[in-house]
Amino acid sequence: MSESTGASDAAGPRAAVDRVFVVAERELRTLARNRALLAVAAAFFAVVVGLAGAATGSPGGYVSLTFDLLLPVEVLVPAVAFAFAYRTVQGDGERGELAVFRTYPLTRLEYVLGVFVGRASGVLVVVLASLAVAGVVATTGAEQPVSFFASHSAGDTPVVFVRFALFAAGYALVATVLAVAVSAAVGTARGALGGSVAVLVALAVGLDLALVAAVSGGFVDAGSVAVFAGFSPASAFRGLVFELALAPALATPPVATASPAASGAGLLAWFVLGLGGAALAAWPDTG
Amino acid sequence: MTDPVLALEDAGFAFGDLTILDEESVAVERGELVALVGPNGSGKTTVLELLAGLRAPDSGTVSRPTDAARSTAYLPQSPGFRSGFTVRETLSFYAGLVGGGVDADAVLDRVGLGDAADRRVEALSGGMTRLLGLAQALVGDPPVVVLDEPTSGLDPDVSDSVFDATAALATDDRAVVVSSHDLAAVEARADRIVLVADGAIAFDGPPDGLLAETGADTLRAAFSLAVAGRELDATAAAPAGGDAQ
Repeated sequence: MSESTGASDAAGPRAAVDRVFVVAERELRTLARNRALLAVAAAFFAVVVGLAGAATGSPGGYVSLTFDLLLPVEVLVPAVAFAFAYRTVQGDGERGELAVFRTYPLTRLEYVLGVFVGRASGVLVVVLASLAVAGVVATTGAEQPVSFFASHSAGDTPVVFVRFALFAAGYALVATVLAVAVSAAVGTARGALGGSVAVLVALAVGLDLALVAAVSGGFVDAGSVAVFAGFSPASAFRGLVFELALAPALATPPVATASPAASGAGLLAWFVLGLGGAALAAWPDTG
Repeated sequence: MTDPVLALEDAGFAFGDLTILDEESVAVERGELVALVGPNGSGKTTVLELLAGLRAPDSGTVSRPTDAARSTAYLPQSPGFRSGFTVRETLSFYAGLVGGGVDADAVLDRVGLGDAADRRVEALSGGMTRLLGLAQALVGDPPVVVLDEPTSGLDPDVSDSVFDATAALATDDRAVVVSSHDLAAVEARADRIVLVADGAIAFDGPPDGLLAETGADTLRAAFSLAVAGRELDATAAAPAGGDAQ
């Protein structure tokens, strides 16, 4: 039996928050100084803004823009999140810094939260700035006033695109926390890369295919697909965009394909599981 | 003897069938520099991790100070630091983990890295990286410092410099436990030697004591005699056809 050092619980909540931000600041500085990650950010920006620019002048305004960007964002946001975060905890472990951190009054939850806050801040800046510029380009680049795609009272307003951007931000947070969890769970750089690719594929297509297989196999009835779609982060994001951003703007809303409640709960569950899993995997509790 | 600041009491630890410690006890007082020595694979790193709280013993207890924000510092063998940061930024980050009040430049001066404060960590030599590790160990003024082979892989002059800095940590009422294969440096600087071999603490006492016990002239020779003696004893005690371990 080991006697606790009492170090990690020696200070109060304010000191704990301070430590989270000390770790987060280190992560942000790392992002800002990594040219490869800046290139990833620039590529994402170019794709999103480029698609918005290509769509300039086409009818449909914000609804059309949201449709145009939905699939690229669904696929590329996790890619950006994993590029930004997949090595962070694993790298600290490889250098022996995790062992050193454990001798400081820093809990593993504080450490993982700090890593997440720092990396997620960078991902959010990239995603939201790209979408904001895309929205401006699509609006100001049009030769004539943006036409309305719908006659519904909600109509084709910027609210559609703002909601899309907010859901993309939530999706980015979930993708980032999963990347941090993968980074905490693996021991080597090769493992981090392999694990990240596997989780990215699962996020992009794997979970959706599993749902299709479950439906075709009779394990899930067609009427429940809207609820079960919330189990996949990508489907949950897509469902929220369709049901809460696009559908209200359409004159004739389509049949619901997702449950906003299930989708929101699904994303929240992935976030909590990812954060908790990352904290547990960062280092063992030796009491 | 005053109250120990760090102690293993009847501590046992094993990796499966491989016993690292079998109900052994060690106590370290403030101001002591204790060298942990032993053959390769004897479990020195594991013992250090037990002392630093990075592992929990299978049995027995480990006592560390409870009245310090950071009770025990640890420096792994071949430490590394995140690239892209300067020496000062790196130490300031660690200082931030214990709150304000740490003068990073003063700590760097203390270990002889003041002139390299603005150098990026990836541009440091091996010896300077170890010194940065020692500086990190001073953050928060922990009463116990545990160092895993801080001089391994360094040339003799740099090794002496790092060992001098290590010994200096113990001068201000701090307990320092360091593992090392540099027996000349250990003989010259350590207050005590703890020899780990075959799951047991084979010797615990001053360097002179090990010389006297083995009849050797140097610690290097005493180490070989002590380890070889245990192997001979174990072979004699093993049943016919049994494993000498």
